[in-house]
Amino acid sequence: MLTGRHFGVLALMAIGCHGAESMDPSTAPMTEPQKQSAVFLDALSVPSPGEVFTALNKACRPNWATLVTPATAPVTTERSQLALAVGVLTANGYVAVEAQDGQQVKNVGRELMALSKSLGVSQSLIGRGNSLMEFAENNDWDSLADELEATENEIKNTMVEQKDRDLVTLTSAAAWLRGLEVSTDVILASDSLQGAGVLYQPELARRIVSQIDALPDRIKRGALVTAVKQSLETTASLLENQDSKPDTKSDILRKNYTKIHADCSAVVKTILSSSSAALPASHSPAPSSNPSKS
Amino acid sequence: MRKEKLIVLIMIPILSFPGMLQAKDALSSPLKVVEPISMEPRRLALETAGAFENDGFRIRDWEWRGALSKGIPAFLQVTLFAGENYWFVAASPTTGALLRVTVYDASGKPVKSEFWHNAANSEGTRSATGVAPTQSGKYFIGVEGMKSPNEGPLDFSLVYCYK
Repeated sequence: MLTGRHFGVLALMAIGCHGAESMDPSTAPMTEPQKQSAVFLDALSVPSPGEVFTALNKACRPNWATLVTPATAPVTTERSQLALAVGVLTANGYVAVEAQDGQQVKNVGRELMALSKSLGVSQSLIGRGNSLMEFAENNDWDSLADELEATENEIKNTMVEQKDRDLVTLTSAAAWLRGLEVSTDVILASDSLQGAGVLYQPELARRIVSQIDALPDRIKRGALVTAVKQSLETTASLLENQDSKPDTKSDILRKNYTKIHADCSAVVKTILSSSSAALPASHSPAPSSNPSKS
Repeated sequence: MRKEKLIVLIMIPILSFPGMLQAKDALSSPLKVVEPISMEPRRLALETAGAFENDGFRIRDWEWRGALSKGIPAFLQVTLFAGENYWFVAASPTTGALLRVTVYDASGKPVKSEFWHNAANSEGTRSATGVAPTQSGKYFIGVEGMKSPNEGPLDFSLVYCYK
């Protein structure tokens, strides 16, 4: 039997020999019912923060070290907030990996373990936590990125097993929101808004909003979840507005990205705040402000 | 997830596709059937994706699993980024079968792609499609069983990698 390595070599050879770019002429376009019936899986259909940051790395040269923020899990018993915090901290972990900041990755790992304990999903994660520490010790950045995604997915998987599937949506939404906050920071630091195309994902924002809408009332009416939803709706609207005006001037784009950044920053800060339970239901993200340029 | 046991017992829901089973949604759906689900499609898909990992691609830590009826494609929605390179790898343990993986843009048009599939005499069947999108946004991945030596549905697993 072929080992993975042998098969890998063979596969690459085959691609090299026969992989000329082509399109199968017999492939018909999708029908509308086919598009409507497409499966949407949180863990595949929503890009991981690592995927977003890889795309940003190609579009511009972010100074990741300036984007690392302290990783502190909120002290709360509110499960929605804990699930949102898992998403934010995972995204922080990816930032730390991009910045090659081993200590910060360890901090994120510890806080993730604390969060999973609060959520009651920690039993199967002890090994993951140890792996994160080990990879961080060895500066094994590729393995760390893989392990962060695996850890997030294992937490989500355990949520599903414990009949807490609704929390998975919140974790994905928060990871994406924090990724958006970081990405807009990077883009706004460039005079020519390099990398703006990476963020052009209005449909994804709308999709996550519709998933939040589908959550039970007791979850979606929470102040923090409402704030997340509002922020995503604002993001979708601003990005869609760009779509209808392809010649949008860069000052309008900058204004839009500044607003998205401010909204996301306000919500992320609240997610990680230990006093966010006091957030009023009518909370709306902070008005636009100029983010610091890195 | 990569460290899961090769065989797990899970509950199987029926998805919107006729004959399609979605293991990941199992625990949120009413119990339909309890039977062992083989991890072999996933193992084959990951083994194939490993070739791309050697070339600097990073594999997403999840799979899309299902069973295909002949001539009825199944579709997954994904979000891709301009400037990135992607390979979508589908595998089935059914030797002699043929899977086709197609990438469609948001409007449903097939995207210019590279194709690869394994030799007919190798273990199981594995197909891969590579794309380099020029626009970020929503895309669809279609998987279709083009032929199968068996009458029944064709189990498959799809993973993807990016760089």
